[in-house]
Amino acid sequence: MDRRKALRKTGLFAGATILMPSMLSLFESCKSENRLDWEPLFFTEVEAKTIASLIDMILPRTDTPGGLDVKSDIFIDKVIAKTYDKSGQENMRAEIAAFNENCKSKYGDVFYDLNEADKTTILNEAEKNSGKFGSGVWGTGVGPQETIGFYRSMKSMAIWAYFTAEEIGENVLSYDPIPGKYEPCKPLSEVGNKWSLG
Amino acid sequence: MANFNIDAKKELTYDAIVIGSGISGGWAAKELCEKGLKVLVLERGPIVEHVVDYPTMNLDPWDMELRGGLTPDQKEKHYKAIRSGWIGTDTEHFWADDAANPYTEEKPFLWLRGHQMGGKSLLWGKQTYRWSDIDFKANAEDGHGVDWPIRYKDIEPWYTYVEKFAGISGEALGLPQLPDSHFLPPMELNCVEKHVKGRIEEQFAGRNMIIGRVAHLTQPHNGRGQCQNRNRCSRGCPYGAYFSSNAVTLPPANATGNLTIRPYSIVQSLIYDEAKGKATGVRIIDSETNEDIEYSAKIIFVNASTLSTTQILMNSKSNRFENGLGNDSGELGHNLMDHTYRVGAIGKVEGFEDKYYKGRRPNGIYIPRYVNIDEKSKSDKFVRGFGYQGGAYRGGNPANIEAFGAEYKDSILKPGGWEMFITGFAECLPYHDNKISLNSDVLDKWGQPTLTIDAEFKANEKALNKQIQEDAVEMLTKAGIKDVLGFDNEHPPGYGVHEMGTARMGRDPKTSVLNEFNQVHAAKNVFVTDGACMTSSSCVNPSLTYMALTARAADYAVSELKKLNI
Repeated sequence: MDRRKALRKTGLFAGATILMPSMLSLFESCKSENRLDWEPLFFTEVEAKTIASLIDMILPRTDTPGGLDVKSDIFIDKVIAKTYDKSGQENMRAEIAAFNENCKSKYGDVFYDLNEADKTTILNEAEKNSGKFGSGVWGTGVGPQETIGFYRSMKSMAIWAYFTAEEIGENVLSYDPIPGKYEPCKPLSEVGNKWSLG
Repeated sequence: MANFNIDAKKELTYDAIVIGSGISGGWAAKELCEKGLKVLVLERGPIVEHVVDYPTMNLDPWDMELRGGLTPDQKEKHYKAIRSGWIGTDTEHFWADDAANPYTEEKPFLWLRGHQMGGKSLLWGKQTYRWSDIDFKANAEDGHGVDWPIRYKDIEPWYTYVEKFAGISGEALGLPQLPDSHFLPPMELNCVEKHVKGRIEEQFAGRNMIIGRVAHLTQPHNGRGQCQNRNRCSRGCPYGAYFSSNAVTLPPANATGNLTIRPYSIVQSLIYDEAKGKATGVRIIDSETNEDIEYSAKIIFVNASTLSTTQILMNSKSNRFENGLGNDSGELGHNLMDHTYRVGAIGKVEGFEDKYYKGRRPNGIYIPRYVNIDEKSKSDKFVRGFGYQGGAYRGGNPANIEAFGAEYKDSILKPGGWEMFITGFAECLPYHDNKISLNSDVLDKWGQPTLTIDAEFKANEKALNKQIQEDAVEMLTKAGIKDVLGFDNEHPPGYGVHEMGTARMGRDPKTSVLNEFNQVHAAKNVFVTDGACMTSSSCVNPSLTYMALTARAADYAVSELKKLNI
């Protein structure tokens, strides 16, 4: 069955203010009970909670779903488990560890246990020193390419996971699987959010 | 569409054998079948039936477990081709297995292959341009390589013939260096492209920016549907809206009842009969069973793709041809060319923030060659020329924005700023020392010798690239584009995927492999009409020329066959 559609239906019946019950429990478990309600393929519990917390800081729930609402953390775990080779995986572990070490040395705790203000300071700093992606043409970078640090790389992955989640791709972004006619110069106001399919 | 006849067990003798089913092989099969010949097409990989065998054609990212990501096993399988940056879960099955089919790079060279029915016709870029007499005369005029044995007038009727069947969309310009095709209505430029076109054309006399001329249908054509602007072409098009062998040439070939297509057939060599002075058939290895089989035919079209075609000829050794079939000249394997790739400029466009587009147009802009086309445009830095492809789109990388949180998240749901790039394709000269050779030290999965590729771009190509980048920066800057960044990725040959040459056409058997009708000089019933036959490389995309040369050669082959000349 289509689990996502079933959940959405439940949400609808329960009223607009209550969003997806299983998601809420995920939130609560992350924040209060200090354990995961899903089984990572790759991440340790600390790593999973670090990534979840990062995603929640970058792409929080607003009037549209947040990154965690569409399980971006679970998807990223799967991507690392299934597409990274051994050295890529080891490198990922080392980078998450180094990120948390930095949090500990500055504020005495791993990222997800910091308060909102300290998390914000850490991320503002990371924004400054994680490099920027260069330009690309047809799938490959062109011109100078900076070294991309852990934060920028994870932020990019979180955005990818978010934009390619079915709920976001079909219901939040503008979804048009079979455009038919190409309209070369359309007022943005008639489209709204950006197209989900590239 | 009826299923294909793949039963080549009973019958070992045909009128014609076509090796390969890509762009040129598909045309050879269609033309020969329609002229009444019993044709065996030998395909190295599996059958890919139009629509039926396009498993990913309708998948959204979230329908794929890894949303396009490749597993380490898939990366290993495509460990060379992955450098192209194009391979994802959606098309992985249409790219050849590099591990089973190794090749050796004496110098860096990216060899992209499609081992299935339809070959790379499923994956190509669909840009279709006629060559002009500037191209066909170039070697004779500047002395590089050997003269083409044909001129524009020889191929023009065949361009017309293949265009009318394939369906090419585009805009007629009347330029001598880029002759017009028979066009279906052009696709459209978006508002930024139109703006940039206007700025460039008013400031640079002799330069044009047009929508790409492409083998995409902009209206229904010959029973095929028009492009729906999904831009999922390389997965196979359910509408048959772009040219592929699978959608366009093989179905009518099949409809004649004259076609047998044998999948999993690796052609090991051609069989040459010294007494008859011609080839009598081919030896294949069944890639599934490892069985060796010989097939016979009166004529053989070798359309295995540029390098594979030459590999087969080189591997076809006999008393008469100790160095490969048709290699009296010593030129077989030499004069390998490709277009230069990813050198140009990119920048940001302001002032169109309220404009967007609908649809994912599988096409971009084209700037036809404007240097070395007449006395006035002559360069003292290089011979030959270049053209640009490119396009404008709303992009930007939201991960680069120095922000996070609620406001940031909501902002990135809107399209990013406009960007525009143009990237050049320069002609590559035919150099004798850009070559391939058989390598018996590295064998493929079936114990066959593989290729060593030894090719590089040289001073002329580097000078062209320098001009491409300078001009690109200048044009975008003068068009009012901001933060213009020139780039040259210095890709080695192969990245353009326009590999040409290694069995060139020519007037003189002493310096070429094929004659003016693509016949092997010394084995007239063997025809080569894929990229291997090319004598020079022009700067425009070559596939349309392969189609036209193939239809022309097939017509000639059948008339010669009827006259009992071959």
